[in-house]
Amino acid sequence: MSLIDLMSMAKPNIETRDKILARLSGKELVNCFQCIKCTSGCTALKLLELKPHEIIKLVNLGFVDELPSSDIIWTCVTCLKCVQRCPQKASPYHVIIALRNLAVEKEAKVPEGYLKAVSQILETGQVETYQKIVTRKMETVDRECLKLPKINPPKQSFQAVFMKAMEEKKA
Amino acid sequence: MKTAVFWGCCILTSQYAYEMSLRQVLPKFDIDLVDLRESTCCGDPIKSVNDFTANYLAARALSLANLTGLEDLLVPCNRCHFTISEAKKTIQDNVDIRQKIVGLLKEEGLEYNSNIKIWHTIDLLHDYVGLEKIRKAVTKPLKGLKVASHIGCQIIRYSDLGRVDDAENPKKLDELICALGAEVVDYSEKLDCCGAALTRSHPDSALSLAGSKLKAIQNLPANGLVVSCPDCQLMFDAKQRDAGTTVGAKLNVPVVYYTQLLGLALGIEEKKLGLDLNQSPVDQLLNKISV
Repeated sequence: MSLIDLMSMAKPNIETRDKILARLSGKELVNCFQCIKCTSGCTALKLLELKPHEIIKLVNLGFVDELPSSDIIWTCVTCLKCVQRCPQKASPYHVIIALRNLAVEKEAKVPEGYLKAVSQILETGQVETYQKIVTRKMETVDRECLKLPKINPPKQSFQAVFMKAMEEKKA
Repeated sequence: MKTAVFWGCCILTSQYAYEMSLRQVLPKFDIDLVDLRESTCCGDPIKSVNDFTANYLAARALSLANLTGLEDLLVPCNRCHFTISEAKKTIQDNVDIRQKIVGLLKEEGLEYNSNIKIWHTIDLLHDYVGLEKIRKAVTKPLKGLKVASHIGCQIIRYSDLGRVDDAENPKKLDELICALGAEVVDYSEKLDCCGAALTRSHPDSALSLAGSKLKAIQNLPANGLVVSCPDCQLMFDAKQRDAGTTVGAKLNVPVVYYTQLLGLALGIEEKKLGLDLNQSPVDQLLNKISV
C-alpha cells in the first residue's frame, strides 16, 4: 500500500463529536462552509502547518479519535484571528481548546509545559516563579531592591478548591 | 480614580519594568492603584488543560478585586485581560458554570461581582484619561522619535467579547504614541503575533515568530518597537537574541513598554521606569530622545 487515506480507514465517533459540540455552546461549528478564512490567516499555518478548516471538517464529520492525540492541536498560537474572521461563528480556536481538554481527559500526549503549569499553580498560585533580572549595567535585581511591594501568595484554602475545580470534567 | 490592579504572573515575577512604569505614570493622571490581597494565575495556561478551571481562576481574580470594594480593575497583561474578559462572559451566559463557580468561590469566602469593569493600560489611558490630557501633561516631547507599534493579539480579538481596540485596524496605541510627540511607522507585519503562547509546546517556533517580526521591524526607518503586553515584551526584548538566532538574523531592535515611553515624556527618571531592565539595546533609543 503506497497511499493511505486516513479518512476512509477511520470510523466516525459520533459520541465524542457530540461531547465536543456540547462544550462549544454558542459556537456554530456545524455551520462551517469551508471558506478557509481561518486557515489563510492562521499564524501557525506558515510554521507548523496548522489548518484550522480541516480540524473543523474532521470534527463535524465525527473523525475525532485521532485529533486529541495529534500534535497539531498544540500548535495553535491563540492569536484569535480565526475567531474574529470566521463568518459562520464556528471559531476554530475554541474547537482546538476543546480538543486539548479532551486530550488531557483521555490521557493522550500533552506537552509537559502545560502539566507543569497546573502543578505550579497548585503549589504557589502562579505559573511563574520570582526571577532575579540582570540589568544592562550587569546589576542583579529583584522585586525587593526595585522597591516593588510584596504581594502574598493565595491563602491555604486555595489548594483544595483548585483541586476540586480541576476535577470538574465537562465545562 | 481608584482602581484595583491584577498584575498576573509574568509582570510580578520578571517583567518588573512594566509594573514600575505603570506605578510611576498612572498617579500623574490621578489614578491610584490598589493591589489585590493575593497574586494568582488568571487561568490562561490552564485553558488548554481544563477550561472550567481557567474560568474559575479568572472568576477568582474578579472576586479578589471585589474585596477591595472597587468596581474598576486594571489588567495590564493582554493574556490575563482576555482570559478574565472571556470568563466574565461565559459566567454571564452559562447558568450552570456560574452556579458551580460561585459555589467554589464561596468555599473560600469569596464573592463574585459581575459589575467589575475590566481595563487594560491602553483603554485606560486612551479612553479614560484621554489624548488631550496626555498631550498637556507631556513636558519632554519625543520630537524626532520614530517607532513601530505592536498592540498584541488578545486585547483586540475577538470583538464579540468587547475588546480594547479594533481587531483589524487598531489605532489607540499609535494615537497614544503620537500624543507624546513621536511618530509611528506603519508596517505590514503589524498584526503578526509575538508567538509567546507557543512557549509551552513549541518554544523554537515561538522564537521564530518573534524573530521574523523583529527582522521586519529592523528594516523599517524606525528607532524601536513599542509594546503594551508583558508576554510580547518578553519575546521581543528578553528573548531577542535567541529569536534572532532562530531566524538567522542579527537583531538590534530597542523594545520598550508604552508606559516607559510615556514616563520619559512626562519627565520621569529612566531608572524609575525600569529602563535598566530592558534587555534589548534601548540606549540607542534613549540617546535619540535626549538629543
